[in-house]
Formats: sequence, structure tokens, C-alpha cells
Amino acid sequence: MKARDAAFSIGPAKFRNPVFLASGPAGYGTEYEELIDLRRIGAVVTKTVTFRPRAGNPGRRLWETSAGLLNSIGLENVGAERFFAEKLPRLVEAGARAVVSLGAEGWDEYRPLLDAAAAAHIVDAVELNLSCPNVDCGGMSIGGDPALVERYVRAAREALPEAAIVAKLTPNTADITILARAAAEGGAHAVTAINTVLGMDLRGPGLEPVFRRERAGLSGPAIFPVALDAVWRIARAVDIPVVASGGISSVEDAEKFFAAGAAAVEVGTAIFYDPGLPERIVDALEARGAAGPPGAKPRKRRKR
Amino acid sequence: MSAVRKGPWNAVLRRTTRLSPSCSLLVFERPEGFPGAAPGHFVSIRVSDSTTPLLRRPYSIMDLTGSSLSLLVKAVGRGSAALRAARAGDRFDMIGPLGGVPFPAPAGPEAVLVAGGTGLAPLLFAARSWRRARLAVRTTLIYGAATGNELLRDLVKAAFGTYRFATIDGGAGFHGDVVALCRDLVSRGRMPAGTLYSCGPRGMVRALDEAAGSHFSAHYTSLEEIMACGVGACRGCTVPVRSGGERVLKAICSDGTVFSAGDILWEEWEE
Repeated sequence: MKARDAAFSIGPAKFRNPVFLASGPAGYGTEYEELIDLRRIGAVVTKTVTFRPRAGNPGRRLWETSAGLLNSIGLENVGAERFFAEKLPRLVEAGARAVVSLGAEGWDEYRPLLDAAAAAHIVDAVELNLSCPNVDCGGMSIGGDPALVERYVRAAREALPEAAIVAKLTPNTADITILARAAAEGGAHAVTAINTVLGMDLRGPGLEPVFRRERAGLSGPAIFPVALDAVWRIARAVDIPVVASGGISSVEDAEKFFAAGAAAVEVGTAIFYDPGLPERIVDALEARGAAGPPGAKPRKRRKR
Repeated sequence: MSAVRKGPWNAVLRRTTRLSPSCSLLVFERPEGFPGAAPGHFVSIRVSDSTTPLLRRPYSIMDLTGSSLSLLVKAVGRGSAALRAARAGDRFDMIGPLGGVPFPAPAGPEAVLVAGGTGLAPLLFAARSWRRARLAVRTTLIYGAATGNELLRDLVKAAFGTYRFATIDGGAGFHGDVVALCRDLVSRGRMPAGTLYSCGPRGMVRALDEAAGSHFSAHYTSLEEIMACGVGACRGCTVPVRSGGERVLKAICSDGTVFSAGDILWEEWEE
């Protein structure tokens, strides 16, 4: 039996399959060339780029927890100029499909970043990181406000009219479906759920905070149920596709996301300990012969 | 896919030997296709099929031959406990060799290598590599441990021309740490000049560079840190260094593990 095509689309952007590497762990993608066949992956969602280069946070940046990983990287990145001139072309040359993650500390940084992305001409899909918990302003402080989510998404649609616009949502809010609706209202082609969950840890004889910023972002299998719940509820609240991200550690987890209503999945922290997992998920999708992801097609259901 | 593959390998443990109360030697069969490696390079091992502990554990390569790969594993936490409990025939998911810049070969005829604890592993690989390459270099190892029975004497004797021991409890060799021993040797005119190589706890390397760095033409050190990806993507294991007059953050995993000790901005590098 010939495996059928798993190709799918988000808005105007086509992907060979719905298995992505998640922004953050994926870096600029090419770091994994000797471990992962990037040409078999649906897309690499690149490490969030900001208009200006960022050094990231001082002090400890990683801390292992039970079935999880706390990080406080702080959006360290090379900035828009080097990203669009060097990192992104290099990833495309390697045969990968890129989704560019954009982040901003505020509107003044966001506009020139969108302009830089538009000027790069090779950007046809972006994921707006409206939800990083590890920076002072921007990130989660934008992503937690539905009005700002809508405004940032709309601006991206206007600046990049031919690109797919995906909004990545924070789970650190009372009701993530409100943010998903705001993104849809702003014209997002899809939402990604979820970014990391706020957490912290204490260490040493004095039980001091591990991180300089005290709070950090939790990822890994520990947050999978949180992500699954978010995906399930968002898929029933909006009509746009949901890209599921958060704690996938097995093919079975990916199947659960699809069954909950996800159109695509992102593998993040798992590539640190199991870089073969994204390709195994692709294998499973192809073996199933699915024209699209399996699972229930949730009907939009509005309360009231 | 890149022509070179760094795994994941299914590495078979050939034998394990308890060398001291806290340290074990693990010798794996070299996986077929495993690329060549240089001193300062490392492998990263998944120690359990479960997700706790979650991350792989990085280990410096202590030796790599055509058929075997050797690591030194000290009891630290859950990861090392799982590795030390392994038996011959057990298989581990391993990636590597990882690392960017390895230890450069000595520029002159003298090399001094200073090891704290399991920092011995990459220095042993360096000395063995130079010997196999028939480099005309005299090696002096200065090696410290907490107690005399933690010194891995047999490994050392076969690999280095000269060796000196230091123990914190005074149980063997110099009574004190390796930094105090180096300071003593320099002050008495007994320390060879040449190139300095080091690996050990962060505090040791910093103190060593301050105490004795200027005695040598160069000081190269292999750094350790908690790592997630091991390939430079996640930016979790960065160290601030001076580079061309600027402060930059380098990833220990992919820009190192070896750095020029004088370039490290120690006061900015928090534990």
C-alpha cells in the first residue's frame, strides 16, 4: 500500500506534513542537520527573532524538573538583520520548510520587524510569539491581552499579506479561548497552543530561586495535559486551525493532539532527548495513509 | 540530511569498571558510523526510557579507538546513578560526537594538564591523542581529588610522562587542591612553562587561571554545564567571553567545549 500524502495548508502556506519543530528548542534549525532529516519535517519554526539582537537572560537558563524542563533563555537571538540575511537562507538551503517566529518587546519594535520580514521576500509563514514568559515587556504581557493579540495579528496580516499568520498563545491566562478568538478576529490563519507554562524552582541549602527572574517557562511531558486541554477547547471555539504544541513525547501524544482537533503538531523539548521523534510521527501519519491528520473533526460550539 | 550523522546511536556497553568509590569507567562499543572525535568533544546519553530524568547527560569522551568509546562517570545525581548501575550488554541511546572547538595540540614541547576530579577525562584523551600522533611533547599532569582513594592512579600512570597528585584531605600527594599545588610549583620554579590545559569545577579553573595563567603561553579549558540540545540550538549553556574586544555569549556545547581561559568573563558567568 502506498503511503498517501500528508500535505496540508495553513492559509496560503502549504506544508508537506503537519509535523513541525517548535520554536525555541529548534534553534535556527540547521543545528540539527546531523540528527534530524529536516527535509522530512513539515516545517521548522525558527527561534523567535526580534528586531534588534538580544543577549538573553543572565544566570542559569535551564533547570530539569519531574518530566519537565524550566527555561529562562530570554529570547537570545541574532536580530532581524542577521536572521533574514544568514540564518533563514541557510535553513532553506538545507531543504527545510521554515515558519518564522517573530517576537517584539512592544509596538515600536514590532513594526520594523514586520517590515524586515516583508523585505526578506522568502517569508511565507510566520508564528507570532505573543507569549514568551521570559522577557520583561512584550511576550506574555502582549499575549495575555486579547485586544493586543488582535492588534498584533492584524498588523502582521497587513504587513505580510501573502503569508500565513499564526498566533502562538500563552496558557498563562484564565481562558485561552478568549485569546484564540481575538487572534481569529485579527485575521490569524491559525493559532499555536501552547507556549510554556509559568513555573519556578528553588535550590541549594537556602532554597533560593534557581533563576534570576525567579519565574521561568515550563515545557516537556509535564505540560502535555495542559496543552491537550487548551487544544481541545480552542478547536471547539474557533474555526481556524490549531497547531498543537506542548509536551509531546511520543507518537501517541501526537495522535491525541490530532484527535483533540489539532491540524498540526509541534515537537519541542522532546527533540532534546529524542531527536528521532518528529520523523517517527511523520512515519506514523504516512503509514496510516491519512490525507490529513486523524481524529475527530470538532464542531465549533459556542456557549450561550 | 547532512552527510555526517551524529546519531542517535544505539550504543552497547561492553564493560563497566568501578575505579574508585565514586567513579566508574564505561567502555562502549564504538557504534558503526560513529565519526572521529577530538579531545574536548563529548557524547550525550539518554539514561532512561522514562521522562524523568528528562534530559540527556553530556560526558566528555575519555578515549575513542576504532572499536571502543570510553567515558568516566562520577556519581552526581539520577543520571549518573543510572549509568553506573548499567551492566555489560546494556544499550544506550547516545548522540555524538558533539562539540565545536576541541583542545588544540601544544604549540611547543611542554604541556601541563590540570584536572579536578572527572575533569581528567578529556585531558586523558588529549594526552593519548598526542601520543598516538607521535607529537614530540612532554606531558605533566597535575591532578586533584577529595581523597586519596578517589585518585584514578592506574589510568594516569599509563598516559602521562609526569604526574603529581593533590588531595584535599592530604591522603595522597600534595595536601590541598590543584590550584594550591600549581601555585607552589610556580613559586618554587618547578612548573614547566608551555601550554596549560585544564578541566574541572568552574571555581577551580578560574582560580587556576588567576594563580598560574600568566606562567603559560596559553591556557585552554574544557567547560562543563547543564545542557539540553547539545548542538547550539537552545542557548541554554552559554558562557560570556571576550571576543575581538566585544562581550559575546558562546554556547559551551557547540562553540566549545574548549575556550581560552583568559577570554572567559568569570564575574559575569553566574552559577
